[in-house]
Formats: sequence, C-alpha cells, structure tokens
Amino acid sequence: MIFVTVGNHFQGFERLLKKVDEIAPRIPHEIVVQKGYSKYVPQNTKYFDFVPASAAMEYIQKSDLVVSHAGMGTIILCKEYGTPILIFPRREKFREHFNDHQMEIAQVLEKRGDKNIYIAYEENQLEEKIREGVGKRGIAQVENRGRENLVRTIKEFIETFQG
Amino acid sequence: MIHRITAGRRVISKGEVRSVAMKKNQKIGLICSHGGHFMELLQVRDAFEGYPTFWLTYREVSTSNLKDTYYIANIGKSPVAFIFGLFKILFILLKERPTVLFSTGSEIAIPPFYFGKFLFGTKLIYLESCAQIFRPSMTGKWVYPITDLFLVQWEPLLRKYGPKAKYVGGLL
Repeated sequence: MIFVTVGNHFQGFERLLKKVDEIAPRIPHEIVVQKGYSKYVPQNTKYFDFVPASAAMEYIQKSDLVVSHAGMGTIILCKEYGTPILIFPRREKFREHFNDHQMEIAQVLEKRGDKNIYIAYEENQLEEKIREGVGKRGIAQVENRGRENLVRTIKEFIETFQG
Repeated sequence: MIHRITAGRRVISKGEVRSVAMKKNQKIGLICSHGGHFMELLQVRDAFEGYPTFWLTYREVSTSNLKDTYYIANIGKSPVAFIFGLFKILFILLKERPTVLFSTGSEIAIPPFYFGKFLFGTKLIYLESCAQIFRPSMTGKWVYPITDLFLVQWEPLLRKYGPKAKYVGGLL
C-alpha cells in the first residue's frame, strides 16, 4: 500500500493530490490518501480527510511507501519505522504554506542523503520517484541518538532544578 | 573558583535530597498543538516517566480520545476561540498546579507559558520543532525570553536565538 498524506496544515495541497490521482491507475499498488483540508476529491483512490494520530501511525508503519508533504511528524515516523518516504514540499508561491520551510527541509535532507528518503520538487517527478521508492523498506530505527540526548537533557533538567 | 565548587556541591547535594521529595510533588503539563507537534512530543515522552502528567492540546480528529488530556479549540482560528482558550487554560493551570510545563509548540504554548511563569512560578521547557532549521518559529520567539530550558533541533538555529538556546541533537 502507498499512503499519501498532507497532514493537518490548514491550507490544502491540491498539486500533490491531483498528480497522485492521475498516476494512480498506472501504479500496481493500492493507494490511500489523507487529504486534510485540500478541496480536490480523488477519483481513483481511497481517501479520507483526517484520522486519529494512532491510525495515521499505523498507516505509516504498514505502508510500502509514504508520499508526503515535508511534515515532521510523518518524516520522523517513517525513519523510526523504516518506511520509505517520498517528500514533496509545500510551496509558499502556490499558497500551500505560509513560508518555504518545507523546501528547506527537503533540501537539507537531500543533501544529507538519508537512506529511504526520496525527494521530488516538481509534480512531473512524482511518478518516477514513486516507482523508485515503493517497497524499499529500511531497517526500523529503534535507537535514535538525537532523541536520547533530548530525553536525557529534559530529564536531567527536571531532576536538578531548584525551585 | 573554590566558592563555585562549594556552591556547586551544595546545590547538587541539596538537589539529590530535594529531587526525591520533589518527584512526588512535581507535576508536568505537556502542551502541544495537533499534528507534527504532537508527534514530536510523543517522541520525547520518556523524559517524563515517573512523574504525574497531564496533556493540553487542540480538539481535532487526530488528537481524539487521548488519556489525561484537556482539549481546547484552536486559539489561532478566531478571537472568540482565543478568549475562551485563555480562560480554559487558566482554569486548567489552577486545577492542576503543574510545577513544570513542557511544549513542542505551536502557539498553544504561549498563554500557558506566560500564565505559568508569572502567576505560578512554573518552570518552562520548550523544544523547538524539528521543522525549524534556519528560522525561529513565531512561538519560539514568544517563549524564548521566559523559558528555563530552550532546546533547538538544528545547530544553525542556535545563532538565531540567544545564549540560552541549547542544541543536543534532533529527532531527525
């Protein structure tokens, strides 16, 4: 299954949904779309607006590929679960977000070259990248040094501060 | 130098005694909006193990049916929601009396942080979202001056805040 998600941002992400809908009949995988506040109604795939976070996590865990805006919740979970992710950043100029920080995230990740993270900047790259990434499951990342450092720092602060 | 070491020791030994006593008395409020901010808070929730906690988040489909959670309507969406939100947040703080507030953003953190700091003397911890690589968030800028522990997840962001900001790693 391919899970397409645009998160909880209040603006729609029509470019991604339209292109995925166009590609869907040519892709031999089931596609499920979380369309959020987007207006476009997919014709060729299953879709819903929102689900509880636990259900979204389950979709991300079970998918053969996640196609997503550059939302951190989804990217972090894909890394943790070892699910390949194709990131298509929301752009300010198309009124998909209020600035271009999603573009910065995509560029930084591309430069870093994380395994199982694919990036598309244009709609016409999506089909090729979906075909490239689907099923390329990585190893679930149980340990995350950044997370452990953050947890330890917060824990120590709570333990040691004097009121 | 000697003074510092002595002082340091005293604080540490006091801290050890106090931390045992305070662990029971501490209560931590976990504050985040829905979506990525919520996911990021889940990532670090191990830090609060052993402490009584409560959550404060927006009432949305993605946050439905969570345990020990207070819900408010999105305060960014309308002035009415904002005013109601302020009262509810105040009520929650009065009822729960947290000693520590922790947030991963976004703007939902601003009212409880200011109430906590100036009305209740609450300790404040803020973790800037992993989505902020080069630019501070609006919420980060608001809470930075009053936050006791301010963590960013990307090194370039340190320069955009002041000396209080800390970088020890990121979730991504």
